[in-house]
Amino acid sequence: MGESNRGDILTVSNLHHTYLQGTPLAQPALFGVNLVIPAGSCVAIIGHTGSGKSTLIQHFNGLLRPQMGEVVVNGARLSNPQVDIRAIRQQVGLVFQNPEDQIFERLVGDDIAYGPLKQGIPLSEVVQRAKWAMGVVGLDFDEMKNRSTFAMSGGEKRKVALAGVLVLRPQILVLDEPTAGLDPRSRRDLLRRIRDLNRSEGLTVVFVSHNMEEVAYLADTVYVLAAGHIAFHGTPRELFGALDERPDLQVGAPPGVEILRALHSRGYHVDTTRFTVPEVAEEVAAAASGQRGPAAAAEPPSGDLSAPPTAWEGPAHRREPDGRHPHAHAEDRGDAHGR
Amino acid sequence: MRTVVAGATSPATAGAAGNANGEWPAEGRRIHSCVAKGSSMKPLIEVNQISFSYGQGPSQSVAAFTDVSLRVYPGEYVAVIGQNGSGKSTLAKHLNGILTPTRGDVWVAGMNTKDASCKQQIRRCVGMVFQSPDNQLVATIVEDDVAFGLENLGVPPGEMQERIDEALEAVGMSEYRHRPPHFLSGGQKQRVAIAGILAMRPDCLVLDEATSMLDSFGRAEILAVVRRLNQQGMAIVTITHHMSEVAEADRVLVMHEGRVALEGTPRELFAHPDQLEALGLDVPEASRVAQQVHARIPAFRRDAISVEEVVAEVDRLAGSGGERRHG
Amino acid sequence: MAGDFELTRNITIGQYLPTGSVIHRMDPRLKLLAAALWILSISLCHTYLGNVAGLCVCLALFALARIPLSYGLSGLKPAIPFILILAILQLLFYGNGYGPSGQVYFHWGILRITSASVRVVVVSTLRFVEIIFAVSVLTLSTSITELTHGVEGLLRPLGRMKVPVHAFALIVTIAVRFVPTFAMEMEKMMKAQASRGAEFGTGSWWNIARRTRDVFPLIIPLFNTALVRAEELALAMEARGYVPGQARTAYRRYRAGGRDIVMFLAGMALSAALVFAPFPF
Repeated sequence: MGESNRGDILTVSNLHHTYLQGTPLAQPALFGVNLVIPAGSCVAIIGHTGSGKSTLIQHFNGLLRPQMGEVVVNGARLSNPQVDIRAIRQQVGLVFQNPEDQIFERLVGDDIAYGPLKQGIPLSEVVQRAKWAMGVVGLDFDEMKNRSTFAMSGGEKRKVALAGVLVLRPQILVLDEPTAGLDPRSRRDLLRRIRDLNRSEGLTVVFVSHNMEEVAYLADTVYVLAAGHIAFHGTPRELFGALDERPDLQVGAPPGVEILRALHSRGYHVDTTRFTVPEVAEEVAAAASGQRGPAAAAEPPSGDLSAPPTAWEGPAHRREPDGRHPHAHAEDRGDAHGR
Repeated sequence: MRTVVAGATSPATAGAAGNANGEWPAEGRRIHSCVAKGSSMKPLIEVNQISFSYGQGPSQSVAAFTDVSLRVYPGEYVAVIGQNGSGKSTLAKHLNGILTPTRGDVWVAGMNTKDASCKQQIRRCVGMVFQSPDNQLVATIVEDDVAFGLENLGVPPGEMQERIDEALEAVGMSEYRHRPPHFLSGGQKQRVAIAGILAMRPDCLVLDEATSMLDSFGRAEILAVVRRLNQQGMAIVTITHHMSEVAEADRVLVMHEGRVALEGTPRELFAHPDQLEALGLDVPEASRVAQQVHARIPAFRRDAISVEEVVAEVDRLAGSGGERRHG
Repeated sequence: MAGDFELTRNITIGQYLPTGSVIHRMDPRLKLLAAALWILSISLCHTYLGNVAGLCVCLALFALARIPLSYGLSGLKPAIPFILILAILQLLFYGNGYGPSGQVYFHWGILRITSASVRVVVVSTLRFVEIIFAVSVLTLSTSITELTHGVEGLLRPLGRMKVPVHAFALIVTIAVRFVPTFAMEMEKMMKAQASRGAEFGTGSWWNIARRTRDVFPLIIPLFNTALVRAEELALAMEARGYVPGQARTAYRRYRAGGRDIVMFLAGMALSAALVFAPFPF
């Protein structure tokens, strides 16, 4: 890892970061992170609060500089103090969590145009870019540009904020929990648009999430960050297939994968690397029709099928975190500072 | 436009007791048993055809919701779900009298929320936890925050310690009692907020999108706490747009554009994915899987709503379980 | 423009240093009162010897509170230039104010250094150091929560005169509670706006218009979220039965024990001694 080839738009090698370095309150956040983002890919970074993912993505556009190790964006080394940081911030569009909180102009159009106008780009071009940016997030330019930013729904505001970054025409779009707090309809809509940006517009997308359904839907590559280092790297399929051997990753699985894993552990020979709903349904149907293993039939694990009170307590993965609490807390304390 | 699922208007009831009686409850039986139980019990919260509009005067007022009725029985777990702007949060704020209806009445344990003299009593009875973990803690130390509600209720100082200990224990935050809240994670802060309510010993806990700003771990923490409280007999009303949280409820109300669009058990609701879809809501993945399997194998129950239920259904069909079930 | 956004991270309001010493465990009301008396007596003491004695007591307080003296010195550091400038000005010009009284060491034009002005300089510098030390011990040994409760307890008599002491204490507590929240929020806003092309503090200082415009992207969102927070907090407080002005009970009760009273009396005795003892010079 860490080696750079021509297709990689962003590479991180052996990156370390410690907050408040050199003070008694020093708090290490990253330990030797290696990561490669090929141009045009869609990469998910998974990790729970305190794993260092926010710290990591803030290195992507130079908000934080490497204390040790290197971040290379399009050939530019961010450890070099002479690097043109404004150019980096333009190339790497970073969208923070709840970006709608940062909207400050009264009119939608003004807020979206803020960045490029600040860069001194001619108005006519800014208008063209804003049209494009609003188009790709699904806001009609003529209808929305003079709308008040305060009288919008949460989903619309988030789109405005996203357009406010896209308007910089970045080559990499980095999103921190892009769908957090949205209702299901807005969430679906936004996910589809991010996917289109990646698949149709060819934008490289990096996103942080802990929603495995989103990861399964969007990502072609997954990095799992745990306690400040990369604990896993692979495709979503590889990740979901590896969860049984890697409880240390502390990653939940989409409910479909949970079903397959539960069946697998009961002796059904199902393919646990499948994760979309139709795939899972296919495996479940095969198992139910007796094609995938007799083990469970020989010995039904719950003993008496007619008394499954646990069946009413919801998906299994929700009960697991109890066992993880001590861990989560220890790390979450670090997160009190917003990482 | 009110499409209430058949049989759903009957009050359903309590978690632990209802589940213990053996089999997977078939729809009919479950509701039947609830009616029997419900009728012998007085509702804790009774919302009678209330409407609420923001603003004054007929020209300027904006209706948040119209003609909503809801009964919450002791020990019940009710979920209210809907898109943003469907009026669900405004409804929640009526349950403890923070807002009072423009039309209709809300009764909490026999008290009208419009009666100002009962305010304190109502707040004690129905506790509410809000969305943002940061914006509901008042004190600089966890245990002082838990004490806040008790101080307001005028609880004698000698009694406070015990209630604070008990509440922090219930949410598993005892070891953090001397910490300042800003050193806690989101899920931990929400647990402190819940402890602050529990110390007031309410009969009902209302969660107003209390998990929507948390990550999946924080959400799991809160759901575990809430589930345990419900099993101990506390009535829960949860306002959410996460379908996965709804599966645990006894009863679900779906709000849409200020009205109750659907009402029923989670099982009944998830059986109509197209309707939920039309209301901008999702069906849990386990339920979608069950429906697709059902399309292939008709004997597979299409109304399984959780991972466990799907797995149990596979066991039933693949193994010898099939003979044991009588439908 | 490397973007050091970590400035807000260093905010530590009331650097409480819990060592569990007797000073830490003292009833905050009595501690505050004793500290106030002690500071008052320091500012009334105008003898060399008295102030040296006062300084010794302050150093003893550090030892008693088991707080390293370096904390006190670091509190002193930012005040040093101020103390120096004040001392020099007093030294050069105060002699005139005292007229011809005392011995004149140096006289040139309007500059006059007399024994009286030397005394003023030395005594006021010592006083300054003593007060900073005393305040440091107080804040390092008392958490903000205790301080608020202490102030509230001391001001309680005013409540009978319809002064909303409790509401005031609650406001202070909430303000303190939200300082770290807003600090983090500010940092996040700066980073987010920088990510979309904003720049902070790069304009020349004389270009006030531009610099003012630069902070708009921060101030407006910050106000917005502050208002949202305030509204939600008010709702949450209401939901927990808070009614402004109603009688409440208090979780934290400070009952001054025998040791607290002894320590307070000792503090009073020291203060009185500092003021009334006949220090020879």
